[in-house]
Amino acid sequence: MAGLEVELRQEAPIPLDAAFACAPGEVLALVGPSGSGKTTILGAIAGTYRPREGRVAVNGDTWFDAGAGTFLPPHRRAVGMVFQTYALFPHMTASGNVMAALGHLPPGLRPGRAAELLARVHLAGLEQRRPAALSGGQQQRVALARALAREPAVLLLDEPFSAVDKATRLRLYREIAELRAELDMPVVLVTHDLDEAAMLADRLAVLHRGRTLQTGTPEEVVTRPASAEVARLIDQRNVFDGQVIGHDAVRAVTMLDWAGHRLEAAFNPAWSQGSAVSWIAPDGFVVLHRRDRPSRGEHENPVPGVIETVLAIGQTAHLTLRPDHDPRLPLHFSVPLHVARRNAVAPGVAATVSLLAEGIHLMPPAA
Amino acid sequence: MDWTALELSLRLGVFTVAVLLPVGIALGRVLAYRDFPGKSLAEAAVALPLVLPPTVFGYYLLVAFGAASPLGQFWQAAFGRPLVFTFEGLLLASIVFNLPFAIQPMQRGFEAIPPEVRAAAGCCGMSPWQALLKVELPLAWPGILTAMVLTFAHTLGEFGIVLMVGGSIPGETRTVAVAIYDRVQAFDDASANAMSALLLAISLAVIALTFAFSRRVGRRLG
Amino acid sequence: MGHFAQSARALVRLAGLLLLALAASPAAAQADAPPVVAAASDLQVALVEIAAAFTGETGRSVRLVTGSSGNFSRQIRQGAPFQLFLSADEDYVRDLARDGFTRGEGALYAVGRVAIVVPGGSPLVADGTLDDLKAALADGRLVKFAIANPEHAPYGRRAEEVLRHRGLWDAIRPKLVIGENVSQAAQFAASGNAQGGIVAYSLALAPQLAVRSTFALIPEDWHSPLRQRMVLLRNAGPVAEAFYDYLRTPAARAILARNGFAVPGEGG
Repeated sequence: MAGLEVELRQEAPIPLDAAFACAPGEVLALVGPSGSGKTTILGAIAGTYRPREGRVAVNGDTWFDAGAGTFLPPHRRAVGMVFQTYALFPHMTASGNVMAALGHLPPGLRPGRAAELLARVHLAGLEQRRPAALSGGQQQRVALARALAREPAVLLLDEPFSAVDKATRLRLYREIAELRAELDMPVVLVTHDLDEAAMLADRLAVLHRGRTLQTGTPEEVVTRPASAEVARLIDQRNVFDGQVIGHDAVRAVTMLDWAGHRLEAAFNPAWSQGSAVSWIAPDGFVVLHRRDRPSRGEHENPVPGVIETVLAIGQTAHLTLRPDHDPRLPLHFSVPLHVARRNAVAPGVAATVSLLAEGIHLMPPAA
Repeated sequence: MDWTALELSLRLGVFTVAVLLPVGIALGRVLAYRDFPGKSLAEAAVALPLVLPPTVFGYYLLVAFGAASPLGQFWQAAFGRPLVFTFEGLLLASIVFNLPFAIQPMQRGFEAIPPEVRAAAGCCGMSPWQALLKVELPLAWPGILTAMVLTFAHTLGEFGIVLMVGGSIPGETRTVAVAIYDRVQAFDDASANAMSALLLAISLAVIALTFAFSRRVGRRLG
Repeated sequence: MGHFAQSARALVRLAGLLLLALAASPAAAQADAPPVVAAASDLQVALVEIAAAFTGETGRSVRLVTGSSGNFSRQIRQGAPFQLFLSADEDYVRDLARDGFTRGEGALYAVGRVAIVVPGGSPLVADGTLDDLKAALADGRLVKFAIANPEHAPYGRRAEEVLRHRGLWDAIRPKLVIGENVSQAAQFAASGNAQGGIVAYSLALAPQLAVRSTFALIPEDWHSPLRQRMVLLRNAGPVAEAFYDYLRTPAARAILARNGFAVPGEGG
């Protein structure tokens, strides 16, 4: 089977229970808070870490199989890795670093190929510089060129942008995007930044304490998280408990009780009547009513309440609304700054929002 | 100036370094990279010659390979010479009591290599042997050189153990340090003076070299 | 080529040359190396002269190691590669012979004497009756007094006997500086680091000492005799044997007599 297949399990010293696959040419992001085992998993794929149980295979070749006792060390795996600290060899020039990974070529061809690779990452002319004489962004590109030099079957990137400033990061995102077109191998990217993952990856795997909780496209994971736990991990703030009241097949809605307030969500008969659920209302599906026009009852799921906080960041206003029916369950949402101004939104002001039915996503109740 | 004694001292120093270079690299690496039960004990054992009075050491070495010991008797039977009062015995003692001088700076040298850099070597396709030669040794080099220089200098200067285990046999175990002692007792101040000045000059050179190299460790990895 | 690789190659070449040079050096050839003679420290001066004469006459040489007789006795028991042992006390030789380390009981080669040595500038006087020493102890002139270690140096033991004989041992004990052998004791005394000492007569006569100190002989009957016996050890070779014989020739005896020893066949 083409691409990367990973399956890892162990109790200690670092708990792992991960399973995912990555196809050639696909970018998979491993997302999760610090300590969720992301770097360990990369280590298991690269061969620098040996877990108790599991299997790692690339394009049909088994690199690790605990059951069969197979374990290939990194130098026998066709892997390219960009470390979080870049891990360049400080005593070698940029060219030397790249050539260190060109052991499979005859010595005469190495300098030329290294120059080619460095040019590809926009570092032509800097071949003779030592890492100490290169900026963070330049070092990172040398690390990338070195990882690619080996013509790897899998490319691994460990928090590659965490040590870089924002401007450089944005530039690097664009360059990675360009490079992607030429990369025909599975790429696994580790990051704790969900936005970065959403921007760069085709699919993401949400990790917590070494367990893969959900794997899917960024859109799927963000709007349809598999559980309240995933929802919280991806920074979804509107996570609530509720209870299914019933279903209406004709109008295609499922009725939900939210602390005494009745909501209508998209029709989902899988949840039986009376069952307890968790549910989310993602930011894009919470709509502020215009305050200058009184409600005529035609809005979906109106929730009246009082604005508690208004935080202006750039051109967006981030708002918190305390619902009248239960002020202990705040709703967080954002609107463009001009909309907030036009509606004279301020703390203490009464306002109403609509929760769009298609956005209300039901999940198993929080444990 | 007792040239035979000087030559003996140099020979002892060079041979000790020759043996401790691979031993120090191997053990220094293991102590730097791995954690294992009993590691503190191992490190303490290595450091022992630093704090133990040389006479205590000399005494235990005599017990370990004197004529009455199994090792001593085996040696006598195998080679026709005792282990004590011979150059070979001195070399063996020198190797043991120089362990911390060889291992500790090398261990520091290897410890200074970031673990990710070592992992990167493997991920670049380098076998462990290639990684050692192309990445680890060049980066740990200042520590290794410091170790060799310190070991050599310490061997030149060792007195108590050499006297206890070697006696003061000219051409065999009478090193420069012991020769100085011998010349003082023979009221030969001129000789004692010349040899002392030489050892002083060598010691100063060694200290200067060691400082110069430890600065380079910082620069190399900076 | 990388910096490391260059320096590594240079170092390997240097080390190779050094090892080659050292391995080929004469000191490495053990087979015909001159035999090692262990001699009591009081023979420091006399034996060097005798060995030089021996070499002059026969063209063969010996290697000398000096120290305390007790120390050498112990080392011999531990397998030290000496071929000839000149002890300052015949008891050590008899014990070694009894335990099978030697060829027979050897021969008496000299009888020694002790002397009190006083460096120039010392508040003490070289008085062989030790009356001045007694006075110096009483009036505080004496701070440090050197003798060899009574436990394993024959001359140290005699020094103690002499001091006990005169009833000075307890008073002088706290002020004693103990030399590892009689040569070191003489060095302590002559250097002025001690105000005086009781050492071998042969060392007091030595030029290096005579030039900076005065001495006086101490009566022989105040201590057990210093009957100095030498013996060939089991592994002695022809050169050692030749030297053993040479030590009993008139030429050698003359040198010993000149250095303050009473020699056998001369009423000793």
